[in-house]
Amino acid sequence: MTPKQLIDELIYRSSLAMDSKDFTGFLDLCDPAFRYAITAYIPEIRKEITWLEHDKDGMKVLFDNLPRHNSDHSSLTRHVTVYTVEQDEAKQQAKTISALQVFKTTLDGGVTELFAVGKIYDTISMNGGNPKLLDRNVRLDTRMLGIGFHIPL
Amino acid sequence: MSRNEIAWKEQPKFPSTHFVDTRIYTDNQIFREEQEKIFNKCWIIGCHESELPNAFDYRTFHHPGGAQLFMIRGEDMKVRAFYNICPHRGNTLLYDPVGNAKRITCIFHAWSFSPKGECTDIPRGKEGYQERYGCKDASLREVKSEVGYGGFVWVNVDDDSCTLKEYIGDALGMMEENLSMPLEVFTYHKAIVNTNYKLWHDTNSEFYHDYMHYFNRITGMMQPGYFDRKYKGYPNGHASVGSMAIKYDAYAGSQERAVGWPGLAPGGWVLIDLFPGMTFNLRTSVLRMDTAIPLGPDKLIIEFRGLGLKSDTPEQRAERVRDHNTIWGPFGRNLHEDLLGVHGQGLAMRERSDSKWVLHGREENSTIHDEVGMRHFYAEWGKRMGRQASDPFSDNKLA
Repeated sequence: MTPKQLIDELIYRSSLAMDSKDFTGFLDLCDPAFRYAITAYIPEIRKEITWLEHDKDGMKVLFDNLPRHNSDHSSLTRHVTVYTVEQDEAKQQAKTISALQVFKTTLDGGVTELFAVGKIYDTISMNGGNPKLLDRNVRLDTRMLGIGFHIPL
Repeated sequence: MSRNEIAWKEQPKFPSTHFVDTRIYTDNQIFREEQEKIFNKCWIIGCHESELPNAFDYRTFHHPGGAQLFMIRGEDMKVRAFYNICPHRGNTLLYDPVGNAKRITCIFHAWSFSPKGECTDIPRGKEGYQERYGCKDASLREVKSEVGYGGFVWVNVDDDSCTLKEYIGDALGMMEENLSMPLEVFTYHKAIVNTNYKLWHDTNSEFYHDYMHYFNRITGMMQPGYFDRKYKGYPNGHASVGSMAIKYDAYAGSQERAVGWPGLAPGGWVLIDLFPGMTFNLRTSVLRMDTAIPLGPDKLIIEFRGLGLKSDTPEQRAERVRDHNTIWGPFGRNLHEDLLGVHGQGLAMRERSDSKWVLHGREENSTIHDEVGMRHFYAEWGKRMGRQASDPFSDNKLA
């Protein structure tokens, strides 16, 4: 596969892993220095906000604690389209921008509704042909998130 | 043994102050009365002064009584509040939630208004109205507003209301020192939940639901002093809960707290509920403010604000943001659980679901799992509504 294909596949596999709640599988796609954030701009107060921020260890703790919390058990389906890939061969990294739509499907009756839209800004370590997620910023346009969610997007 | 229909509907064997009829959470007539008799009479938080830092900055607000308002800072730096309605053809004057307007001009026919609410221009006014009507007749409707108690902008649509100071009384006294320095809103979001506004305020008025939060069970409930915290009621339906220290390091992944809050012990927590739907929640490094805005008996907007000190360094602010959002953000550990709880109550109490009573009967010397906070709220609710929450339609008298 070409580097572009490897990058696309990494991003799509990360969404598949999260959709299926395969959190170990998701973390396997991440570099040890991985950082994750959900951010947004809040026009009502004219400020940027970071709603969730973790390193790889923090993500693991979050995933490990999920069964201990009371949560909405609806499933999330992420629809991701990789828009742009910019490779930096000197750094052995790539920066990508992907469109994101997240749909929530209830367990009772399987009603699906749009949960959130935004973009994913990824930095990827090329890692000698075995690319890994180094940094992910899920940048949300949606800020009305109902009762919220415990699982990252 | 389970209960049959008759037993299910039987009135709880508590004093009438210790339970409510669930129709107060679902009935449309009661909701309309609440808008008139409660929300249109009480002081409500519209926004925070830090959301209007400059002259001519404005912020719109959906008042829980139903009116659409905007708050605007004048050239004199005073904040005033008005109906967001053009007196000509009833159009919305300010469409965006926030902005800066030296002159407020209706997009429909270009009638213009000053930030003091004066009409400054009616295009072709003389030609159309001659001497019959002019700017002097077309001012905006101003509603009472005051800035105070941590820099919040309070509004009251009742021209004959008491002052804000009279309304709050001593209820915020426990936070007086904590609110004495300039504050700034650093996060804001809304949630729409299919539930009644009182159920959200109830959740903020009782800590027995800490059983729902894994985080609170291990960081709060098991710590010394948890069961010593006491509720205190104040006139006008307000209530407070005293401080305790939270053992954050009991939750894996929680960081050591480096940033605190002036006047609050490290790991401290103070909560004050203001009637009819506002909560000051000061926990360690962050002040959270909830404002409940009902859209109907079973639909609610909650506005969530997180505040820090205006004097914060970028590092301090970043820590406050982290502290707030890991617990109370839309992806935080506790907020989702609290909202899930009231969402579930909304589902169970839908009309025709045959829900009947909600119990407020725990008595533990006013300590943390006592339900006196809710009882205090419903005593005020009953006084203002002229109904008992346990018998809102006087069924017992009719019987």
